[in-house]
Amino acid sequence: MKTLRVFLLLFCATTLAFAGDNEFRGVVHAIEGHYGVRHMHIPLLGFALFFVRPEGVSGLKLAVFEDFHGPTAPEDVSRVVESSLGAGWYPFIRVHSKNDGNDDGETTLIYANPSGGKLRMMIVNVEPSEATVVELKLSEHAIKQWLKEPGEKAEDQSAHRRHHADD
Amino acid sequence: MKIKTRTNATLWLVVLLALPMLARAQDVKIPPDVEKLSARAKETVEVTMDGPMLRWASKFLSAEDPEEAKCAKLVANLKGIYVRSFEFDKDGAYSAAEVEALRSQFRSPAWSRVVGVRSERDGDNVDIFFKLENDKMAGIVIISAEARELTFVNIVGPLEVEQLADLGGEFGIPKLNPKDLSKSSSKAQRGDRR
Repeated sequence: MKTLRVFLLLFCATTLAFAGDNEFRGVVHAIEGHYGVRHMHIPLLGFALFFVRPEGVSGLKLAVFEDFHGPTAPEDVSRVVESSLGAGWYPFIRVHSKNDGNDDGETTLIYANPSGGKLRMMIVNVEPSEATVVELKLSEHAIKQWLKEPGEKAEDQSAHRRHHADD
Repeated sequence: MKIKTRTNATLWLVVLLALPMLARAQDVKIPPDVEKLSARAKETVEVTMDGPMLRWASKFLSAEDPEEAKCAKLVANLKGIYVRSFEFDKDGAYSAAEVEALRSQFRSPAWSRVVGVRSERDGDNVDIFFKLENDKMAGIVIISAEARELTFVNIVGPLEVEQLADLGGEFGIPKLNPKDLSKSSSKAQRGDRR
């Protein structure tokens, strides 16, 4: 019974954290409104993200859109995302890979919100059939790694996310 | 008469409001020729770090590490770092004439080319241009062209040639050989142009 109470408490805490983040929800709603898609409901996602997260990352939030059929050109996606991000968010990295010469490839946009010793990142990844929105906070060590090799880290992030999607 | 005065006042107001925008437009971060290349690239990576991001980022470079401490001092004074890197799926996806047209944009009196490396064997070409304002370095452009990769870096703000080596390897800027830069630096100070 005690385990169940702890479980429920943690689940509620992570769900409340999700509800409190207007910017993350703003980006998710902007994508839903613009492309006519709904993000998937993943049971116990908040609970799972609390325990399973990459090193140096906290406050992880994730929304996945399946059956996404919108244009994936970086200009289209950035227009939608930037319309919902508030002041303090800066465009940081943009990666676009083409699918065998096809313009509708994969786009990853990363926006950064630096404040004090923390860096919040909003990562939007769009593919011809799927899209994801991730918000995370980086530790000091992780920030240093991102600043050293931003392009490589963005590509890693994209590949890491692809690997999980394939599983 | 009153209407004319009001129209003139409105016109002046519009001109005054537009001036800062015009000044910003002249300070080109990424030339349109570079942006066009992304249409043909298999993969495009863009890194944008404006002033506020750079000032914040400089705090994360360690004061205890002498290399990082030098870099932090430098970065805090910069106005922006803009990197565009294109990867192509075959040789010849972009022409030598296109790169030459890009280089020619930095052959104005405000710019000096201080490094020009040509490798016949690998086909790797690197050019570094410096912008001078009131006899002080005000910006650096690096154009690195390989058979299947093209990288354009624009660093806006005060920076010395030797300091470029300190920035190499950070913020997506390619690592540069300090020996090449110091040789080029002395040439730049003598006013040599290649």
